[in-house]
Amino acid sequence: MLLRFHFLTVILVIGGLLVSNVHAIQTEPTPEIIARGKILYDRSCIFCHGVQGKGDGPAAFFGASYWAPRASDFTVGQYKFRSTASGKSHTDEDLFRIITNGVPGYMPPFVGWPEEDRWHVVSYVKTLHSTNSRHNEKPLETFQIGTQNVPLTVESIEQGRQVYFKFECDACHGHNARGDVPDFEAQDLKDNLGMPIRPTDLDLTNPYSFKNGAAAHDIFGTLMTGLIGTPMPSYADAFAQHEDDAWHLVHYILSLSQGSGP
Amino acid sequence: MDQFRPLVLGSLVTVFAIAVSSFPSPPEAQAIPAYARKYKVNCTVCHTRPPRLNTFGERFLENGYQMPGTEDGGIVGKKQLGDLTLDDVTNYLAFRLRGNFLRNFNFARKSPGPDVPGNPEDRTDFGWPETFQLFTGGTLTTNVGFFVDVTHDLPAGNTDIARGYFSLNNLGFHNLAHLRIGKFDPSAYSSFPLLRQQLDFVRPDVNSGVLDRIPLASNAFAAKFFGLFERDGTPIAPFRASLFHSPNEVGIDVHGRPFGDWFLYQVGILNGANETFGDSNNPKDWYVMVRLDQAESDLFSANISGFAYFGNNNAKVALNNSDVSWSQYGVSATVRYKMVDLYGAYVIDRVTDLPQALASGFDTTASGVTVEADVLATDRLLLSIRYDHLDAGGFLAQRKSNSLLALQAKYYLRTNIALFIRDDFNLRKAEGGVSPARNFRNAFLVGADLIF
Repeated sequence: MLLRFHFLTVILVIGGLLVSNVHAIQTEPTPEIIARGKILYDRSCIFCHGVQGKGDGPAAFFGASYWAPRASDFTVGQYKFRSTASGKSHTDEDLFRIITNGVPGYMPPFVGWPEEDRWHVVSYVKTLHSTNSRHNEKPLETFQIGTQNVPLTVESIEQGRQVYFKFECDACHGHNARGDVPDFEAQDLKDNLGMPIRPTDLDLTNPYSFKNGAAAHDIFGTLMTGLIGTPMPSYADAFAQHEDDAWHLVHYILSLSQGSGP
Repeated sequence: MDQFRPLVLGSLVTVFAIAVSSFPSPPEAQAIPAYARKYKVNCTVCHTRPPRLNTFGERFLENGYQMPGTEDGGIVGKKQLGDLTLDDVTNYLAFRLRGNFLRNFNFARKSPGPDVPGNPEDRTDFGWPETFQLFTGGTLTTNVGFFVDVTHDLPAGNTDIARGYFSLNNLGFHNLAHLRIGKFDPSAYSSFPLLRQQLDFVRPDVNSGVLDRIPLASNAFAAKFFGLFERDGTPIAPFRASLFHSPNEVGIDVHGRPFGDWFLYQVGILNGANETFGDSNNPKDWYVMVRLDQAESDLFSANISGFAYFGNNNAKVALNNSDVSWSQYGVSATVRYKMVDLYGAYVIDRVTDLPQALASGFDTTASGVTVEADVLATDRLLLSIRYDHLDAGGFLAQRKSNSLLALQAKYYLRTNIALFIRDDFNLRKAEGGVSPARNFRNAFLVGADLIF
């Protein structure tokens, strides 16, 4: 058990480092930067996201075929994977993070691009949103995840398990968090494109299911922001006065992913 | 009645497969062979369904196993040598087992018969796997890739390096030129690559050196000539994939998209003559291919390829005769829209420098057509239909053309594990005759294709 805690602790630290890695400085987009971003987009992204960014590229159908998720539609300007509150827009860092890390299972990471190029693609992708008014908005408030105050202990994991059931996570993710809901009413769930989506897509025991990242900070972020366009809601309000419970839940979820359920 | 039994059985199994697959069950994200494991994505990121590539997968292949548009050197998973783990090794290794569990063949005329060559008999047998392939491939560093395919043919008992090459990519500037050196399949970048078909090659029946049943293969890519020999005297089977569509020839080729995604060129030079090492005929074979692409949006893509393969003294028409030059020309095309994948090829083969004495009895031109449609009926069920026609060339007394129709239902338990049932029909069986191309009626096959 002690070894398990050490392993989880290492994951938490690495997760923090990964988060910090994407906080790179971007330059103000110029026509040249956007043009460079378009070149890269046309070489790499067009096959899934399409020439206009509608998520209708020539290879987009095959990723999940008749099920969610499909490639993101950049013209809508809504992104599942954000660091901002539900209903709020995304930050440039959110886009940068997805380009860098990919979406496990569905989008490969483009970490091989120089950092500068990834920012150029961010700049170009933003232009595909027809009503892109981000520059007129106030600076977006992101969740300050920072350093967690809740230590990783057996008690924390147990409390997380109780939170899991208290907030009825099992309704979609199942009693064992494997998406194995017996009567499976959740089969009727759909995403914002009308594509059927099942909790097995959110199988918490499969690291590839952590589409928004498998580090502790990523899971915490998913709980707080929700995944817009999917049935996964934001629990920010629920955890407003009980942020420690969110971290307990994160610990519980991480404990499931090491190959041995509770 | 017996002749319909396989068809009835096939229909029942097809209905069963469709029924099973109609239960809602979503695809699971799963990393499978080496590249999927390495990049932590489902194999359908690159494949329509394995082994067919989608547009993204085609560009990944063209770029020397680097993400399209990047020169990342496969940076994901790269570590210092001392930090390597077993997981890292599996990022470079994969294997594939495939074949038919059940094979049922039916013939119009069974032996013994004084006028029937060989020993064709209706029969059903078991046998799986038929082919084992061990792959290793990926990137060594930025713009340097490699690929090795060690294939063991279980019925034949042969193990061979079916393909093995390394690549230097993005020479000059991005996508200007990618160089392949080694033993490779020349048609890999064309609209209809030989090695990426949903209906697998089915080996022929040969008894005591006599052909009882023709192989079930893509006729467009076949040798097409009856009476050709390799330069060492080995007969060239008319149904064997050859020249531009050979599964493995040794040489060098270059491809690129210097003007953008819409245009691809490829030129190559090979030993030719099916010679792995050395080149006994000295003059090389060479080829050129161009491909035009439309792949932008609307879940749609289309492309068309035209190629010419020029053989130089790469075959014989009789053992004691001088060499002939055997060349190949053709077009192939692909259209994909959502769940539908249509592809086909029309290929003409031509023999030149034929000795005058043989000219009257040898047809120097042959052609073949292969057209296939794959439809992803559900996320797990792929239905395929393929038509093949061979207008054979070679010695007039020997040649027999044929036309085949094949139907297949392939059910993917996971995207890397597929079970299939298939029925191949001889469309020219009504013409009768005792040749293997006419006597064969149909084949019913049940098999599996596993890739890990």
